Amino acid sequence: MVDVNKLREKAKEVVSRDDVRLLIGYRPGTYGFRARPAFVQGPDEADELIFTPACVNNLATYITLEEKLPVPRGQEPDLRKVAVMVKGCDSRALVQQMEEKAYDRDRILVLGIPCTGVVDMAKVEAKFPGVLQRGEIALEGDRFVLSFNGSKEEVPREELVADKCLRCRYPTPLVYDELLDEAVERFADDDYSDIAELEKRAAAEKWAYWEEKFSRCIRCYSCRNVCPMCYCEDCVLDRLQPQWMRRSVDISENTAYHVSRAYHLAGRCIQCGECQRVCPVDIPLMELNRKFYKDVEELYDYEPGTSVENPPLLSTFKVDDREDFIL
Amino acid sequence: MALKKLSKEKMGEVLGELSKFRLVAPAKSDEVVVFKQIGDPQEAFLDYGNSTVPPKKFAFPQTETLFRFMVGSPELKEKNVEEEGTTVIFGLRPCDARAMAIVDKLFSWDFDDPYYLKRRELTTLVGMACVEPPSVNCFCTSLQGSPFGTEGLDMLLTDMGDYYLVQSLTEKGEKLAETLSSQLEEAPAGDEKKAEEMARESEGRIRRSISTAGIPEKLPGLWENELWKRVSAACLGCGICTFLCPTCHCFDIQDEVDEGGEGRRCRMWDSCMFEEYTLHASGHNPRPTRRERTRNRINHKYSYYPNRFGVIACVGCGRCINLCPVNIDILDILDQVVDAQ
Ligand code: SF4
Ligand code: SF4
Ligand code: SF4
Ligand code: SF4
Ligand code: SF4
Repeated sequence: MVDVNKLREKAKEVVSRDDVRLLIGYRPGTYGFRARPAFVQGPDEADELIFTPACVNNLATYITLEEKLPVPRGQEPDLRKVAVMVKGCDSRALVQQMEEKAYDRDRILVLGIPCTGVVDMAKVEAKFPGVLQRGEIALEGDRFVLSFNGSKEEVPREELVADKCLRCRYPTPLVYDELLDEAVERFADDDYSDIAELEKRAAAEKWAYWEEKFSRCIRCYSCRNVCPMCYCEDCVLDRLQPQWMRRSVDISENTAYHVSRAYHLAGRCIQCGECQRVCPVDIPLMELNRKFYKDVEELYDYEPGTSVENPPLLSTFKVDDREDFIL
Repeated sequence: MALKKLSKEKMGEVLGELSKFRLVAPAKSDEVVVFKQIGDPQEAFLDYGNSTVPPKKFAFPQTETLFRFMVGSPELKEKNVEEEGTTVIFGLRPCDARAMAIVDKLFSWDFDDPYYLKRRELTTLVGMACVEPPSVNCFCTSLQGSPFGTEGLDMLLTDMGDYYLVQSLTEKGEKLAETLSSQLEEAPAGDEKKAEEMARESEGRIRRSISTAGIPEKLPGLWENELWKRVSAACLGCGICTFLCPTCHCFDIQDEVDEGGEGRRCRMWDSCMFEEYTLHASGHNPRPTRRERTRNRINHKYSYYPNRFGVIACVGCGRCINLCPVNIDILDILDQVVDAQ
């Protein structure tokens, strides 16, 4: 895992540059094992930066989420770069954003962190309920070592690691200006066995399954806001005139929301798992996203967010594209 | 008022008895606990910490039809809340009940909200004391609440091991106790003392706190303080902290009209953390970034509300801390408010 002193030194160097205005990284959270996004503007702030398996957030989201006020007359916009720390999956969000020409590559400076997996905080909190004091998590060999309240606990990696990491094909960032550690080998692959199971069910059974999940949705749109690929400036969901989707919460509108979002992400979702992580009512959104991901891979031999040169899937056409599934 | 005892074996019977009303209780949907209308008493899941979504939606539904209409016709078919019938919300936590008492002030302020108030009148709240504070981020004791608090409740149940101690707190609670008289027994002598002792122990297990003294007065002076930028930098503007807050009560009103011209006017939860919340028709937005929105959320709860109604609009349930995807922590924000110069 990347050495924290090296990380801070690098961050200091980066934020001291004239052409960099901000560095987005991680800092310790306010309680328990949590980490949170950090926005570093000067070298003195770089000392709060960390990188641990608790750094679950996909910081690529903040590149497109940033709110810009109109520049007052007579002033120039600040066009300096934003530096961002990314894990393998997060880097794929940057790649996909760049494939889609969301911004110029020159606008950002990427510090790549070869990743050995992050924890699923729900699993951590279930195993260690009620840890209030700030605790730390590190990976040592194949075990997570958790230090809190003056004691240490060791837990096998598979017990706490996020599900997405168990099938991660790209733990080393795919785009970076600088890699902060040695590249790591892919440690897993995705056989989609969970999705194949779901596909086998009868239509009525599938519907009963999703009806229960979707009926819980409170339509906070957190899954949209956190998604690095949901960066349209004007989202259909917020439109009132005309209103494309009603704000009322019922099974029909909720379903319409989830189906639309899944389609908007087809061939674009880069499997960071953030949407499912943030959902306060545990809707298994990755099952939808992974179904589409699997289809796109099988039908078009395409993986989103893997090469900046790739054109976006939905803007390409090959004469030998499969079409036997079209009704 | 007389204390009663409800043996745990009789819980099924009690819930069955209450099913003659609209019965709302915590239930599990996968691993998530939500309050829902219970048909079969078996569905109730009482062995829970606190629900993810607060029971506020049964007084203030997430989407509520106010009236129906036909485009072109002056006739309105108004909602009659009375039709929903008498409701019992069973097993809610003291913070969530207290939150309802706080929100009542708003809905009966300059205008008596007929929908909300009618529903409140028809609802009896049966609370469940927190023998164990349900989350690491509970801080109700910083806000005049308590794990055994009774404000807003009509009846309080305390888990004594094999049975619940039942305390009726209001007339509605007394009436409910009468309805359940065949399931309730006399409480053992000394239980009142024992419950007081348990309450003290539970309070002692609450580990997060803030001294709120002076915060409402201090907030207006911090309008341009740089702390707002700092604490909101990571905010996604997702609204989880407000949708899941038992005291948040903002709504929008929208018309939904079908192709045939049949329509309804409904109100629905809205959130000050959303960009379009304050967007004016002119295109101007007085809260243009998440900095202003976060500032508003804290000011609304900890300054405007206490100024207007004499009580802070936060009960310390900790949901906004537990569920914020980026660890924005209201206690951390308030600490910074206290420290700010
Ligand atoms: S999916 Fe891969 S890159 Fe992403 S956090 Fe897990 S191991 Fe790291
Ligand atoms: S985060 Fe969860 S509750 Fe919120 S809109 Fe998405 S699926 Fe629904
Ligand atoms: S849909 Fe979910 S998994 Fe896919 S990119 Fe968006 S947040 Fe990540
Ligand atoms: S839950 Fe957190 S990220 Fe979402 S709006 Fe509230 S403070 Fe912002
Ligand atoms: S502001 Fe947070 S802690 Fe206070 S009542 Fe709302 S959700 Fe609970």
